[in-house]
Amino acid sequence: MRETDSLEAFLQLVGEELDLAVGAGDADRDLADLPGWDSMNLLRLVTLLEAETGRRLPVHAVLEARSLAEIHSVLERQA
Amino acid sequence: MTPPLDRLRALRADGGLAAAYPEVPGLLADLLDDADPARRTGDLCRAGRLLAGAGPEAVLRHHPDTPVLTVAITGQSTVGELVDPLTAELARHGLLLRPVLGDFGGYLRDLTDPAGPLHPAAPDLALCLLDAETVFAEVPTPWQPEDVADAAARVLGRLAGLAAEYRRISAGTLVLNTVPLLRTHSHQLVDHRSRARLGAVWREFNAGLLRLAEEHPALVVIDLDPLVADGGPAHDPRLAAYAKARLSGPLLAAYAREIGHLGRALRGKARKCLVLDLDQTLWDGVLAEDGPDGVAAAGTLRGEAFGGFQRHVRQLASQGVLLAVSSKNDRAQVLETLRDHPDLVLREPDFVRVNADWSDKAGHLLDIADALGLAPDALVFADDSPAERARVRHGVPGAVVLPLDEEPALHPVRLLADGWFDVPRLTEEDRDRTAQYRTEGERRRLREGSGSFEEFLAGLGVTVEVSPPAPHEYPRLAQLTQRTNQFNLTGLRLQPAEPARLAADPGRLVLAVRSADRFGPNGLVGAVLGRRADNRLLLENVWLSCRVLTRGIEQACLAALLAHAAATGLRAVDARYRPTARNRRARDFYPALGFTEIAREGDQVYYRHDLTECPDTPGHIRLDLRVEGTAHA
Repeated sequence: MRETDSLEAFLQLVGEELDLAVGAGDADRDLADLPGWDSMNLLRLVTLLEAETGRRLPVHAVLEARSLAEIHSVLERQA
Repeated sequence: MTPPLDRLRALRADGGLAAAYPEVPGLLADLLDDADPARRTGDLCRAGRLLAGAGPEAVLRHHPDTPVLTVAITGQSTVGELVDPLTAELARHGLLLRPVLGDFGGYLRDLTDPAGPLHPAAPDLALCLLDAETVFAEVPTPWQPEDVADAAARVLGRLAGLAAEYRRISAGTLVLNTVPLLRTHSHQLVDHRSRARLGAVWREFNAGLLRLAEEHPALVVIDLDPLVADGGPAHDPRLAAYAKARLSGPLLAAYAREIGHLGRALRGKARKCLVLDLDQTLWDGVLAEDGPDGVAAAGTLRGEAFGGFQRHVRQLASQGVLLAVSSKNDRAQVLETLRDHPDLVLREPDFVRVNADWSDKAGHLLDIADALGLAPDALVFADDSPAERARVRHGVPGAVVLPLDEEPALHPVRLLADGWFDVPRLTEEDRDRTAQYRTEGERRRLREGSGSFEEFLAGLGVTVEVSPPAPHEYPRLAQLTQRTNQFNLTGLRLQPAEPARLAADPGRLVLAVRSADRFGPNGLVGAVLGRRADNRLLLENVWLSCRVLTRGIEQACLAALLAHAAATGLRAVDARYRPTARNRRARDFYPALGFTEIAREGDQVYYRHDLTECPDTPGHIRLDLRVEGTAHA
């Protein structure tokens, strides 16, 4: 299992696993504006985050998130 | 050594992944070998993500000869999740995925509209992913099993129409799948009688889907039941509800593996020979230490597990997979054991070659490939010893290595985990392939007993029959084009439905080449594809099985065809050679027959024969040419 508690660690995980170039400045960007983002990424993230954290996520909340920071806060609420 | 996934990530990060594509199949083989089993599927998918990110066009810029498979992906639900695992599965075989995604839920239109999003890409494969919703979308609430039966019958009728229409407008292969019945459907019914009725109705729907493949040569139906039985769960209810992703990630990954092998077979990369170790692979015990009486494949619990494995192997052999032995043992003792040991299912005649001595196994495999006229990448090697596997993996590039271990009950699982020997369709030739190759041994002995090669050919008594293929020969013809690499003058492959289409086209010339010699028939061993254009014949491709190369058959066919062209008043015969990774030996085929080069385009060479002086038919061959329906005949 990997560290996803800090926003920074979360962004690094997302970048590596989704093959995206995301840095600290991208946390609050609209997902649609992230370079290389596609709609399948939210699905990938659900599967991935549940496997990595061992927590069950509210899927609808992840799918409705508008930014990586929002997804991270969904994750924190489940901690 | 860097773990394979880290290596792929590093390549992706510094922009070198496309350039390193030839390295990828090896990295993915290592990845599947090394990874913790629980992470294997996920890691392969991650690798696929990186490869998909690098993009097929970038790979082609670095390696223009990389074989590409254009795959249309559509279905009942969200299907984009398939791209990553499918990219990785095809990359394992050195193939490059060019995905074309349809609109979610719009599969009927996607697949039948020539102007829709899929057809302009001329996909080699069109994957139409069906799930339970394909039927249940049409079932009212509340419902009875009869409502499901009605909906299933309507859907099946529509899919049959789709298969027929797809065949009409596309030369590619359409892929459907059976649909797992979910507990959240079956257990909405509270009485056992209705639940059983639903189960029967559902299986009838799936059986109907599977039977469609009997009627449509270019249709493949993937049965998801064995995949679910192996891996479950079939879906994630949350992703189904919120994202319309109705097949689970693990199930899509298993499906992608099946498609990978289908694509590999269609691209002519079929594996042909299974090379087996003996000690602890086919029998329990070590022959050199325990002696013939000390090894077992029956009678004990462990022994029976080995016997079970032998039956699996024999089953593959009955369908055209050649078997060979690579064993570090005394040859005489091995042959004696294969002949006399009471436990064995597999006997010496089941093997086309037995390499048993104390030399290196990589050498065994290269020798087996050479003796059978196969490339090393046509071999699959199974051994329980990690050291031997490592030797072969590094010494025999392209060979697949199956990791068996000390648990023989898992040998069949390992053998069948990948469909290395999958073919779109089996032909008569496949069923007696072992006999064909063993007869090859008799031919070799005749060759060794003959003074000169000419003397050997004269003694062989080759007869050749060339004529348009009969409909029952179409599957074998397509298969030949998929399996033939060395004598394939442009690298062209025909998909299963194409021979029928081409044969029906009056502008086309399709000829099948069948040969025989004193040892028996060789079957359908070659094909010619041509196009008729005013006063000229354009040879689009010629294929000849490597089993019968160097007997003059290819020269005899062309000599007869040229003579026929001249006799029917044609002015010239044009031809084309396009080099591939494997067809170098066919490079001088046309010039040697009197064709002259007329143009070059990239690496392709265009030839013309003006028919003023036709080549002689090799004297040792009796050839019968029948060209029906020629414009001038």
